[in-house]
Amino acid sequence: MIGKVKQDYIKKGIASPVWGVLVILCSLVTWARVQYNFNNGFDIWLLIFFAVIPQIYFSVKEKNQKKFVAHDDSTITFVWTAFGICIFIATFYNSKYGNNVMSTIFMMLYGIPTFITGGIFKFKPMIFGGLICWVFSIISIYTPAPIDMLLMASCGLFAWLIPGIILWTNYQKQKKAHV
Amino acid sequence: MFKLLDPILHSQLRLAVISLLISVKEADFTFLKEKTNATAGNLSVQINKLKEAGYVEVIKQFRNNYPQTICKITKTGVDAFEIYVKALQTYMNPNSAV
Repeated sequence: MIGKVKQDYIKKGIASPVWGVLVILCSLVTWARVQYNFNNGFDIWLLIFFAVIPQIYFSVKEKNQKKFVAHDDSTITFVWTAFGICIFIATFYNSKYGNNVMSTIFMMLYGIPTFITGGIFKFKPMIFGGLICWVFSIISIYTPAPIDMLLMASCGLFAWLIPGIILWTNYQKQKKAHV
Repeated sequence: MFKLLDPILHSQLRLAVISLLISVKEADFTFLKEKTNATAGNLSVQINKLKEAGYVEVIKQFRNNYPQTICKITKTGVDAFEIYVKALQTYMNPNSAV
């Protein structure tokens, strides 16, 4: 019984790969639009705002179904809320002034919650992902705007998609083991 | 000398409940039942004993029109668990207890 109690709480990590895929998709479409000079008719980054709605819905649903409150739950919520607000302000600023250097700021912002979350959960792929975001943010200072989009897509890959897939795989493995 | 083990915590189910509660901020009764694999009646009795000892705080409320029991470890409970673990260590390393 005590052995069963000692089981660690499994993190599903569904949100992480979803955001990873979105950032990769939006960055690659923006890059392709500049590279091949085509117009997709709408701002692809608006997808991020549409993704926020199901994200809020699932978060509220998950919170209602949750049977325990972990010590670090509120910390994580505050960190990601702060990140969301910063991204919103940065996107708003970008849409108003059309500043090309914003990708450096975005990548820097991506690194903050990723690095903190990785640190709190002692999850190395996320710590590494956060560091990668900051390294790419520095590189983007010296690269032209289209290349920044490729760097941003890589941030989505290393910071969220890969750690998210690792979390999801671990969750499935642990779920099978405890059936 | 071997230190005395807290009789409140020296029970499999109560120890399981305390070790679960120490790792979270608060937990639902159903969560504790699921994790400990205990029956509702037995778990309820053991939680009540922990409550009487001041080791846990029990909050009864309604959520979506259903009754809900939330359990939280208290400062006394955390201290008691730490003392219990230290006392148990004297049994594992008898030389250090001399």
